Amino acid sequence: MQTHIISLLVEDQPGVLTRMSGMFTQRGINITSLTVSPCEKEGLSRMTVAIKGSERELEKVRKQISNLIEVVKVVDLGESEAIVRDLCLLKVHVKNSEARSEVMQLAESYGAKIVDAALDSVTLELTEEPERINRFVDLMRHFGVKQLFRTGVTAIGTGAGLER
Amino acid sequence: MTGVKLSGAEIVVEELKTEGVEVAFGIPGGVLLDLYDVLYKEEAIRHILMRHEQCAAHAADGYARVSGKTGVCIATSGPGATNLVTGLANANMDSSPVVALTGQVPTSVIGTNAFQEASTFTITMPITKHNFLVKRTEDLPKVIHNAFYIANTGRKGVVLVDLPKDILAGEAKVDLHPKETFAGYKPNIKPNQVQIKRVVEILAQAERPLILAGGGVISADATVELRRLAEFLSAPVVTTLMGKGAIPESHPLCLGMAGMHGQVYANRAINECDALLALGTRFSDRTTGWQLDQFAPDATLIHVDIDTAEINKNLPVDIPIVGDVKLALSEILKLLEKKRAKKSGSEWEKRIKKMHEACDSCVEDIPREGASVSDILIKEISKILDDDAIVTTEVGQCQMFAAHYYMTRKPRTFISSGGLGTMGFGFPAAIGAKVAAPDKKVVDIAGDGSFLMTCQDLATCVESDIQVVVCIFDNRYLGMVRQWQELFYEKKYAQTGLGVTPDFVKLAEAFGCYAERVEKPEELKDALNNAFESGKTAVLDMIVGKEDKVLPMIPPGGGIIGMIGTERCKHI
Ligand SMILES: Cc1ncc(C[n+]2csc(CCOP(=O)(O)OP(=O)(O)O)c2C)c(N)n1
Ligand SMILES: [Mg+2]
Repeated sequence: MQTHIISLLVEDQPGVLTRMSGMFTQRGINITSLTVSPCEKEGLSRMTVAIKGSERELEKVRKQISNLIEVVKVVDLGESEAIVRDLCLLKVHVKNSEARSEVMQLAESYGAKIVDAALDSVTLELTEEPERINRFVDLMRHFGVKQLFRTGVTAIGTGAGLER
Repeated sequence: MTGVKLSGAEIVVEELKTEGVEVAFGIPGGVLLDLYDVLYKEEAIRHILMRHEQCAAHAADGYARVSGKTGVCIATSGPGATNLVTGLANANMDSSPVVALTGQVPTSVIGTNAFQEASTFTITMPITKHNFLVKRTEDLPKVIHNAFYIANTGRKGVVLVDLPKDILAGEAKVDLHPKETFAGYKPNIKPNQVQIKRVVEILAQAERPLILAGGGVISADATVELRRLAEFLSAPVVTTLMGKGAIPESHPLCLGMAGMHGQVYANRAINECDALLALGTRFSDRTTGWQLDQFAPDATLIHVDIDTAEINKNLPVDIPIVGDVKLALSEILKLLEKKRAKKSGSEWEKRIKKMHEACDSCVEDIPREGASVSDILIKEISKILDDDAIVTTEVGQCQMFAAHYYMTRKPRTFISSGGLGTMGFGFPAAIGAKVAAPDKKVVDIAGDGSFLMTCQDLATCVESDIQVVVCIFDNRYLGMVRQWQELFYEKKYAQTGLGVTPDFVKLAEAFGCYAERVEKPEELKDALNNAFESGKTAVLDMIVGKEDKVLPMIPPGGGIIGMIGTERCKHI
């Protein structure tokens, strides 16, 4: 099973999220991440859905989702032709100054920002590809992760990308 | 018209009239008082008061299937709307254009468990093509227009409009009859020319071409084109349950219905063909069986359908064409006619002729034991009714006997619940059918179990003077389930015996209907004539063999050439 990212342009109407997610629910497909946000066109929203499933299964849902009246456009974003980002907020335990400087060093090498600091913790922000975030979080577990928040992926096609 | 001030209810009714609505099936309720107040004065729309909302939906569905126009049903909030659900799911599964209007509690109390509140919008989302919850009176013109546009274009289906009480009662200054629609909804797809050419290439060369016609052929009104193509190619036609009537079943090229309870030779032809042109069908397992290697193994598979999502869904196909069947067929014909002359006299044609004759003669010839008469009764009904008569069916053995033995001669005259298989559909669908075609005879082929699910609407028939004839195949069993228990569960008849009550003749008479009991097939003709001549809605309680089986059939897990119960079939 592979992760697929589907980008949808939808009418900004109540119910459209339920309609879309219902298509996955009916087939027992688990949505691994989902983001909804306004886009460049007024009255429309963009949804980015990451799911795990077989190519064949995905093809069926994709067609059925395009059939939804309020869905204007559906694009499958293959990972090679898309820029994929996830935002992560992470509160890491630092038991002493040694730990603190180690965390800060690692954060710097990953390009993570320190957005808050307390006596025994630092809060980090990292916007990256999901895989890199996974690795960063794994590293931080070594120190103790108190809280982890991720927005879920959003993605944009490279070059002509989305307008295919 | 610009900027008129109207109440929400008035806007709804105005827009219904603009959409050409002449009739609606429904039941009023508290939140719909404003709407019914407007309908009360309205002469252009006939409202038929049903006795159960499920029947309102089925009647609208039957009306739509017979007329091709969008059927309309109306129900109040809460229980009214939840009662509609089965009927809507049924219509949507069979791609029947229906618009449902439901009342809703006032917007100010939505979400508070108000009296008779149910979230109709979320409940009906997965069983409709689209639905709306109207939040502002001024949105009504656009919503109603789009409801009808969506229901009766592309792959047709059900659209529900949920109307809160304050939206109907409130006033707004609106422009009536808007044209705007959804950016993402593009229902009228023209078939791809390159694909059409490929299909023509294949069909021109095929030695054993076969056409599989589904319900899409009927709903696209493509039956004339279908027949022309079949005759041009001398290609036999088999149909799905929904496709019955796409070509007259008496036509020499028609081999009847294929699939689980289809004709043995319709299935054989699918197995033997070298090019299969499937039109407006979704390859349901009831049509294909479960051993897909028996389904057209040597054929180039061509699939024409209006719905992209059906392509490669159940079967991988060689050439898909997404688009209107009627358009696709006329383009295929045009190119074919240019390419080569009409062909006839092939070996395949001779074989088809033999297959046709074998199926035709099978009922009369079989030696039979005991009281097994269901098949004979259907053949009789088929003979007695004229070509224009409309037959609806309930679900079960009665339905499959009808599908197998009833000779459908015209499109939109065989109305059955295909996708959902809803017991109780046939009778209210017959009501809708009769309203759509008052000059035609309408007969519901019913099971005793099914009929009890919706028979209260006999009252509707009597009060609204709608004459249909219900022929109950009275076996005192939930026969189809019993048949499976007999064949596959060692005759353990768990919960399928219906006992001895009710007396259907007395039941019908209590409603003020004409009724008669038919004990032997010989009595059917007179009884049917009496029924039609009574001028009333009639119920014929036809006693059939308690343990009649509808055979042949593809057993569960079997393939289309693995039918059981073929002893009575002629071998050719
Ligand atoms: C609403 C509904 N409930 C249950 C079923 C399952 N079911 C399919 S056929 C059947 C028996 C139908 O009995 P009857 O109407 O008497 O017809 P028969 O098969 O005896 O001709 C049942 C219970 C169904 N299709 N629909
Ligand atoms: Mg029965």
